[in-house]
Amino acid sequence: MVDFSLSAEAESLRDLARKFARSEMAPHAAECDRGPRFPEEIYRKAHELGLMNLNVPSEYGGSGLGLFDQCVIVEELAYACGGMTTSIIANCLALEPILLGGSDEQKRRVLEPFCASYHLASFCLTEPGGGSDAGGLKTRARRDGDHYVLDGEKCFITNAPHASLYTVFATVDPAARHRGITAFVVPRSAEGVVPGKDEEKMGHRASSTSTVRFEHVQVPAADRLLADGEGFGLAMRTLDQTRTPIGALATGIAQAALDHAARYALKRETFGKPIAEHQAIQIKLANMAQAVHAARFLTWHAAWTIDRGGRGTLESSIAKCFASDAALHVADEAIQTFGGYGYMKEYPVEKLLRDAKLTQIYEGANEIQRTVIARELLRGYA
Amino acid sequence: MEIVVCVKPVPEAESRLRPDAAGTGFDPDGVKFVLAGYDESAVEQALLLRQAVAGSTVSVVALGPAARVDEVLRASIALGCDRATAVEAADLPLADPVATGRALAEAIAALGRHDLVLFGKQAGDDEEGLVGAATAEALGVPFVGHVIDLRPAEGGGRFTFRRSVERGEERWEAPLPLAVGLQQAWNDPRTATLPAILRSRKATIGRRAAAPAPASSGSSAPVRFALPPPRQGAKMIEFATPEEAARKLVRLLQEEAKVFP
Ligand SMILES: Cc1cc2nc3c(=O)[nH]c(=O)nc-3n(C[C@H](O)[C@H](O)[C@H](O)COP(=O)(O)OP(=O)(O)OC[C@H]3O[C@@H](n4cnc5c(N)ncnc54)[C@H](O)[C@@H]3O)c2cc1C
Repeated sequence: MVDFSLSAEAESLRDLARKFARSEMAPHAAECDRGPRFPEEIYRKAHELGLMNLNVPSEYGGSGLGLFDQCVIVEELAYACGGMTTSIIANCLALEPILLGGSDEQKRRVLEPFCASYHLASFCLTEPGGGSDAGGLKTRARRDGDHYVLDGEKCFITNAPHASLYTVFATVDPAARHRGITAFVVPRSAEGVVPGKDEEKMGHRASSTSTVRFEHVQVPAADRLLADGEGFGLAMRTLDQTRTPIGALATGIAQAALDHAARYALKRETFGKPIAEHQAIQIKLANMAQAVHAARFLTWHAAWTIDRGGRGTLESSIAKCFASDAALHVADEAIQTFGGYGYMKEYPVEKLLRDAKLTQIYEGANEIQRTVIARELLRGYA
Repeated sequence: MEIVVCVKPVPEAESRLRPDAAGTGFDPDGVKFVLAGYDESAVEQALLLRQAVAGSTVSVVALGPAARVDEVLRASIALGCDRATAVEAADLPLADPVATGRALAEAIAALGRHDLVLFGKQAGDDEEGLVGAATAEALGVPFVGHVIDLRPAEGGGRFTFRRSVERGEERWEAPLPLAVGLQQAWNDPRTATLPAILRSRKATIGRRAAAPAPASSGSSAPVRFALPPPRQGAKMIEFATPEEAARKLVRLLQEEAKVFP
C-alpha cells in the first residue's frame, strides 16, 4: 500500500518551514527582488533554525533529513520566495559531493566546522564554455607533489560571492574528457580564488550568482574527493540527489501562483460577476490545479524512490522537468488571470513567472532531462 | 524550582471551521490543533525562568483527546520543555472549566512538587480565561491573571509581577506556590529549531486518564454552533493617489454608508 499522507514528523517540519517562509521570507520577497538584495540576515536565521544544511547528517552538524523531508521543506520555502530558496538550498548542492565522495576524515574536517555556524558553499561545475556538456569542462588541475594547482573559470555559480567553501570540478586530463574530471574542496581563503561580481538576473534576484576564477590555486591532495577521474560520476550522482528538490522548489512557485490566481478570480468582477464564474477562468484554474498536484506527487515519488535506496535518475528527471514546466505554465496562467494587473510589478505574479523560468534551466536544463528520461525509458524496451 | 505550564490544543488560526452534525460544536475532522496565543507566551516565560533560576525544570501538561494533546506537547518539548504529560480526555465536557481545572490539578499534583503553575491568560479559541483559576482552586494555590513581567524576587521563594488594569498598572509580590495567567512573556515566543523538532518526535510523553467530571458539571452545555454570517458590503476603492482615495472614501461614507451628512 502506498501512503500519500505526510507523517506527523514531516508535517511538523512543514509547519516550521511554512512559519519561517511566511513570517521571515515573504515580507521581504518583493523588496529583495526589486533591489536586488541578498538578504543575508534571512539566510543566517535559516541556518539558526536548521533549515540550511538539510542533507548533512546530524553527526556533522547538519539536519540529517532524507530527500522526502527536504522536498516538503523546500516547497514551503519556495512558496514565499524562489530566489531565497535557491540560496538556502545551495549548500545542499555544494556539500552533497562531500557526503557522497568524502572520506570520514574529510567529512569530519570540512563539514563539522562548516555546519557549526552560518556559512555558504558553492557547487562549481558550469563554465563559460558550457554547462550541459559538463564532460568538456576546461578548468585544469595539475598535480604538483602533494598538492594540485587549479586554473580556470566557472560561471553562474550560486552564492559564489558570499561562499566560504567551493566544491570544484576540474580536469587532470582534458583529452580524457569526462574520465579526467576530478573533484576538490577549496576554501575561499585559498590564494587565487576570485569570485566575480554579482550577475544581474531575470529572477531569483534575492539569490546571488557570479563567476569564480581559480588562478593558480594550490589545493592539498588531501582535499581531493575520491580519485583522479572520478569527479564526473560524483557530479552526476550529486545531481541525482539534488534534482528532486528543484521539483519541490518549482511546485512551491506553482502553488503560490495558483493561490494568487484563485483568490483574485473570486474577487475581480467583470460583466457583473466574479471572473471565477466565467468558464474560461474556471478551466484555467482547473488546469493549473492539475499541474500543481502532478508536480507535487511526481516530486514526492522521486524523493520516496531515492529514500528507499533507488538511484532515481529517471524519477528525479521526470519530477524536475515536469514540475519546472508546470511552474512556468501555472505562473503564466496566473498572470493571464490577473489581466493587466498581472503584468504590473506591483502585483506578485509576474515575479513568479521570472522565478519559475530558472527551474527549467539550472541543475540540468530540461532538454538534458528529456534526453535522460528518453535514455532511461528506452533502456527498458531495447 | 519546579515550573508547570498548562497548554491547550486549539484550532490553527487559519482553520475553516464548520458546524458538526449535531450543530452544537465545530466538526474537528481535518482541523489541526496547535499550541498558540498566550499559551505560547506561557511556555516562553517558563523557559526563560528556568534559565534565570538555576536548577529549575519545566513540565508541560495538556488535556484533551490523545492525538490533539500529543501535538501541542511535542511542540512544547521542541521549544525546550523538559517533560510532558498528556491528560487524556476523549469526552470530558471540554466546555466546563471546573471539570478541566480539576483534571489538570490532579495531573499536576501527581507530578510532585509544583512551585509555579503557568497558564496563558486565556485560551486561543474560546478565550474564556477560567481554567487557570479553576485549576489553582483545585490545587489550593493562589491565582493571579493578566500578568506581565513575572520575575523571581530577591532572596527567592517569591515572585514580583505587574498587571495592567484600567487607568493604571498594579505591581504585585506573591509567595510560592503560585498559579499565574500570563499575558506576555519577557520576549516574543521563540521558534523551535529543526533538530529540536526531530528530537521532540521521539520524546516520551507521560499519560494519564482525566479525572472524571464532577457530578455538578454538564449542567450547562452549548446548544448551537454557527458561523458568523458572511461579511457584506465591503467595497474596494481603486485609486491612483492618496488624495483620490480619501476623496472617494469621504463620498462613500456620505452617500452610501451615510455616516456623515
Ligand atoms: C541563476 C543560475 C544559477 C546557477 N547556479 C549554478 C551553480 O550553483 N553551480 C553550477 O555549476 N551551475 C549553476 N548554474 C548553471 C546551470 O546549471 C547551467 O546554466 C545549465 O546547466 C545550462 O548550461 P549552459 O547555460 O551552459 O547552457 P548550454 O549547455 O550552452 O545549453 C544551451 C541550450 O542548449 C540546450 N542543449 C545543450 N546540449 C544539448 C543537447 N545535447 N541536446 C539538446 N539540447 C541541448 C540546453 O538545454 C539549452 O537549452 C546556474 C545557472 C543559473 C542561470
